[in-house]
Amino acid sequence: MSSNKRLVGVVPLGDVPEIALKVIAAHISGYYKLSVQILPPLEHPEYAFDERRFQYNAGIILKAFESMRFKDYEKVMGILNLDLFIPIFTHVFGEAKQGGKFALVSLFRLGKNPDGSPSPSSLIFERAAKVALHELGHLFNLLHCREKRCLMHFSGGIQDLDEIPLYLCRYCSDFLKNRLRRQPDNEESLKKLDTIPLNRLSSQERFRQ
Amino acid sequence: MDEKMSIMVVDDEEIVRESLSQWFKKYGHVVEAASSGFEALDKLENYPFQLLFVDIKMPGMDGIELLEKVKTEYPDTMVVIITAYGSIESAVKAMRIGASDYLLKPFKPDQLSLVMERISHQKRLLFEHDYLKGRLEEITRFDNIIGQSPVMEDIFSLIPEVAQSDSSILLTGETGTGKELVAKAIHAKSRRAHLPFIAINCGALADTLLESELFGHQKGVFTGATHARKGFLEVVSGGTLFLDEIGEISPKMQIDLLRVLEEKKITSIGSREPVDVDFRLISATSQDLGKGITDGSFREDFFYRINVIIIDIPPLKKRKEDIPLLIQHFLEKYGHETTKHVDRVTRDATELLKRYDWPGNVRELENAVERAVVLSQSRTLGIKDFAFLRSSLVPLSRPLSLKEVEKQYIQQILEEYDWNVTQASKALEINRVTLHKKIKRFNLERGA
Repeated sequence: MSSNKRLVGVVPLGDVPEIALKVIAAHISGYYKLSVQILPPLEHPEYAFDERRFQYNAGIILKAFESMRFKDYEKVMGILNLDLFIPIFTHVFGEAKQGGKFALVSLFRLGKNPDGSPSPSSLIFERAAKVALHELGHLFNLLHCREKRCLMHFSGGIQDLDEIPLYLCRYCSDFLKNRLRRQPDNEESLKKLDTIPLNRLSSQERFRQ
Repeated sequence: MDEKMSIMVVDDEEIVRESLSQWFKKYGHVVEAASSGFEALDKLENYPFQLLFVDIKMPGMDGIELLEKVKTEYPDTMVVIITAYGSIESAVKAMRIGASDYLLKPFKPDQLSLVMERISHQKRLLFEHDYLKGRLEEITRFDNIIGQSPVMEDIFSLIPEVAQSDSSILLTGETGTGKELVAKAIHAKSRRAHLPFIAINCGALADTLLESELFGHQKGVFTGATHARKGFLEVVSGGTLFLDEIGEISPKMQIDLLRVLEEKKITSIGSREPVDVDFRLISATSQDLGKGITDGSFREDFFYRINVIIIDIPPLKKRKEDIPLLIQHFLEKYGHETTKHVDRVTRDATELLKRYDWPGNVRELENAVERAVVLSQSRTLGIKDFAFLRSSLVPLSRPLSLKEVEKQYIQQILEEYDWNVTQASKALEINRVTLHKKIKRFNLERGA
């Protein structure tokens, strides 16, 4: 199934609103111009629950992904509505291994504003899309970017996440293009990618670039 | 956090090592992990990590012990302590020992970001400090003359004193002892410091060429003189002229220079118009000029004119206590120039270098360190990196028996392979058991 090699799979783990999956898939398809398929849900990852922290260990879920058969998909994004952590951090919005195949996105902490008030669903979905595109960037070997107006800039909290844009800076965008160019059967994605970030930029951002 | 760093994560829990390493990789840092303090020290032996993230609670050697060792052995390496068992006491202790920061796990992702920002800032400050310190040393130190031996300390205290006068100075000492560096230091400390320092090796130039170089010439006075050219005695104008290997100049040139020193005037070749000159003369020689006076090759009046002040620079073999300091200086120099991360020499190798006689003096030591740095595969230079010096270590003063030759050769090979019997036996093309027997029979010992 070589034509599907470029395919990104979006897979819910446990109970995840379908609309969130569709928004994430649409953003991956729209911003990175990659083909996306929403896959049937996987079971709630009880095996990753940490009883001391009452949270789910992202590392364990990613390890479990590695033993699953996703051979038709180049990258796979797991979406959860659970509180994720990695051992050193109190929590994470998402997790991905640099240059790896699997990433996770958690919706759990995206529903509240920095002041604790509930966020409108449109903002929650925008945040989810940012986390998904950011983690997918890591899967394509993009590093954290020092440019604050770049999707790959690190966000430690909700406020940071709201401040970063939905697009890559010029440097990261070029890097991603080159990264995808190395893979000969992805010509179509590449052609489309040329037009992505600039269309989305404000006039100020265009001037900066 | 815009600067890529080399980071080592030291934690006995694999999952923590993995998580932190992954996080740092996302910033493009070079990351290694170690599961114990011992492993971390081993890795530091071979690579100069800039930053260590160390867990306090580890079996064997805990984080505080590792921090102490790192700060003693590698003071430039920054250490951030992480622990789940944090207490104010351990934090204060860690910071007192020299930790750059302290994190209690689990921490918020942006806390780690903040720590990295602070580390980056500290690193920038350290860099600026080192740079300014280096600049200051360049200005105030004696231009790369390294030494802490009493004899060098005497020279260091003499330099600023003699620099104040305009008297001619004669520097004596074997080749490679650093006579030109001393001359430059005297110039740099003198009131002429802002004017030229011109060095000429008299031994490298034929007499006629030296005359032309020093006095200058008019156009067409000899074949090839297509332009008039000012001599160095005129060009130096107010500065310092350093004439190395002064013992090599001809008696005629000695008379010409003597006249210049007395009259402060020169006449260029082919001209009749004398020109006023003003310079301070520093001469140097590795020869015994007294002997030259006796055999008539060196004029006595010229000798007394150039050696108003005499400074004798000792050969390296007479100030062996300076060798470790010189090694460190050259390691820094060539580590920087070659961008190789070599910054240490083992104690055995330092001892070996102290045993050597250094006939080429500091210059030979500098070349030896440069060669070892360029060829080294590790961060630390050992005995085998200086194996090329070994043949000169034991001069043969009497004929050796075949048994003695065998004993010395086996010892040499063992030292070269750092007493790795397997490798040494391969090099000697004998089996390991035979080599062990020979080691026992000849009573061979490491470093003997």
